[in-house]
Amino acid sequence: MVKKMVSAKINGHAVTAPDSMNIIQAYWHAGFPRISGVGCLEGVCGSCRVMVRRVDSGKVTAELACQTMIEEGMQVQFLSFQTPKQHTYRLADFKNSWDVQSQFFDIFPEVSHCRHCGGCDVVCPKDIDVENGVGLAAMGRFREAGELFVECVMCNLCKSGCPEQIAPNQVGLFARRVTAYFHIRPSNLINRLEAIRRGEFRITR
Amino acid sequence: MAGIPYTEALSRYQIAAPRPLRDSSLAVADLLEQFHPDYLKNSTVELKVGANKGDRCHRDLARILQSDSRIDDLALAGVEVLETDVLVIGGGGAGCTAAITAAEQGVEVMLATKLKLGDSNTVMAEGGIQASIEPSDTPQMHYDDTLRAGHHLSDKALVELLAMSGPEVVRWLIQQGMQFEVNKYGDLLTRKPGGASAPRVVYYRDYTGLEMMRVLRESVRNCKVVVREFSPVVDLLSDESGHCAGAVLSNLSMDAYTVVRARQVILASGGIGRLHLNQFPTSNHFGATGDGLVLAYRLGAKLRDLDSFQYHPTGMAYPCHMMGSLITEGVRSAGVQILNALGERFVEELNPRDHVAAAIIRECAEGRGVLTEKGVGVWLDTPTLERQQPGIFERRFPKLVQRGKQGSVDPRQIPMLIYPTLHYQNGGVVIDVNGQSTVPGLYCVGEVSGGIHGRNRLMGNALLELVVFGRRAALHAAANLRRSGYHRVSLEHLSNMRRELMRLGEDMTYKGPQLFPDYANFDNDPDYRDLNYRIILGELGARIRKLVST
Repeated sequence: MVKKMVSAKINGHAVTAPDSMNIIQAYWHAGFPRISGVGCLEGVCGSCRVMVRRVDSGKVTAELACQTMIEEGMQVQFLSFQTPKQHTYRLADFKNSWDVQSQFFDIFPEVSHCRHCGGCDVVCPKDIDVENGVGLAAMGRFREAGELFVECVMCNLCKSGCPEQIAPNQVGLFARRVTAYFHIRPSNLINRLEAIRRGEFRITR
Repeated sequence: MAGIPYTEALSRYQIAAPRPLRDSSLAVADLLEQFHPDYLKNSTVELKVGANKGDRCHRDLARILQSDSRIDDLALAGVEVLETDVLVIGGGGAGCTAAITAAEQGVEVMLATKLKLGDSNTVMAEGGIQASIEPSDTPQMHYDDTLRAGHHLSDKALVELLAMSGPEVVRWLIQQGMQFEVNKYGDLLTRKPGGASAPRVVYYRDYTGLEMMRVLRESVRNCKVVVREFSPVVDLLSDESGHCAGAVLSNLSMDAYTVVRARQVILASGGIGRLHLNQFPTSNHFGATGDGLVLAYRLGAKLRDLDSFQYHPTGMAYPCHMMGSLITEGVRSAGVQILNALGERFVEELNPRDHVAAAIIRECAEGRGVLTEKGVGVWLDTPTLERQQPGIFERRFPKLVQRGKQGSVDPRQIPMLIYPTLHYQNGGVVIDVNGQSTVPGLYCVGEVSGGIHGRNRLMGNALLELVVFGRRAALHAAANLRRSGYHRVSLEHLSNMRRELMRLGEDMTYKGPQLFPDYANFDNDPDYRDLNYRIILGELGARIRKLVST
């Protein structure tokens, strides 16, 4: 468990920190302030989006700073978090589940423009099979599509990586939400709700 | 500290089950008193000002409750002024639930949050939500379990509502589009929380909070709620009758204050973990610095249980850069065992959290812990669980497997090293059944409120609480909008506390609310220099006032 010090560049600043730290910890360790772009610090909030280039590599990757350990020679740039324009829809407006597929393209018209370039797959920091998920949703296979987005943290990088400005993460979330809204009907829950409604349960203090 | 070094302890470890439980030799009350951090000597002080004057309070919390404001009336000259019916402060689970519900009632809603919408402890919640839905369970059992775990110090009316509302809350969440784990017939699966008498927690893998937060955030974005992100509230506003009348927002990206006049304010600003009480690591979000308690206290709201915090038994202790982050209690529900460095089992894993945490701290204090570079811990015997139920980690705990990969510790192969981590603020602002604080016009919901959990919270009651009371507060607030709003809205309430603090000779250099942990260097950040510049102006003002008063 020997601590090795490494030097890197974050937002243009030279930073020296132990290699046992992630990018945010290293930046703080070197005395630089960082507030926006910091969130849960465990990879589920999607706030700390960074562009990273490693030494001897021409490739720039998109990652989450709290999930990426600092390395010798690494160059890092924090990305500001822009809240993209949303596709608006209300689940309550779907009168029944037969209509969902027909309305999907009204809500997400860009989906039919997908060029299958794989940009979204490349930038996803959670290694989600994004393009495939969008394709499944376009075929109306919402439950299957939603399953691919279980680990999605809504960092919006896939949208940044899409030349057609599809919001794949929002498509994934849509697929998950309609699945729950129309298809989760647990009998144990419904029985209990009924019993409570009939007044079968009361609490004695 | 005595103990066995990590490498040596790991080489001694073997997959084996089941292990006998060692006799504790200490009664629970004694165990808590000797080892739970709430009972550490000199960790609490008496509050000198405010509605809780004379009450015991954690030293670090007392410091922020009795801090000086970052602003005064001077700072508000010529700033942008907005008006809304309901102002929700906080963009986590409670805030989003309240905003969605209030908007459904057709009133104007604005939601202000310190960071990004959804950045909160909710998104990090793993275990699940309690709802008594199994045939072997009743709301009464939920009620009794919650009271018992909280050492019978909870507000019974709040707990009754909590227990009765569980099933309805799960239904509401499904209708928002949230998924839960179901069996092949579509029935909800349940887990048994530590300290409960029946399986009662519904969940989604170990991503329950993430699933919930994505859905609630999307719901907020799809209804008529004005969202102000990166806008921490620095103080609440009052009117001439002492009614809460809005808030002062700062804006991290534009260096400017905004005054929001509101007919009702719902405070849902979360907890306090990032104050690192008693130098503990925390499982909390970066923004959890107890701001809401400070805001409410300055306005005169009564708080409770300010010396009681939850230390979650299973925080990660190795690798060191992940110290404090959470391993869900769901792993214990699934049957994992906790072992000391000698491989002995020393505590019933499904006891309440305060009990298990104190037992772990005791093992480490008495030299039976595993030593790392920076700390100490005990084993969470995950490989044995994987052996007994092959594939369980991949199926049920993908987040843990992910985190293991990141720290080069595969929980299926190597036991996880754990130590209690600061997790939850048991107390908070006193509320009634509609989430109303003792200050008219100010509602408090979610972790910032107090009274539901007594001195110890059960797994799954936090996610439940924030929906139950987030919805109740929003409905009540929307139905009771004051006709006459916005009269003589000011920071007048600050001057009384300021005078009192000065009279007592308190150190006025510390400015609250804290907003961010010290290590983020907020006060030196050139991006936010205007906000800090105004603090300097405020300090000058305070000095002049002091000169004048003497």
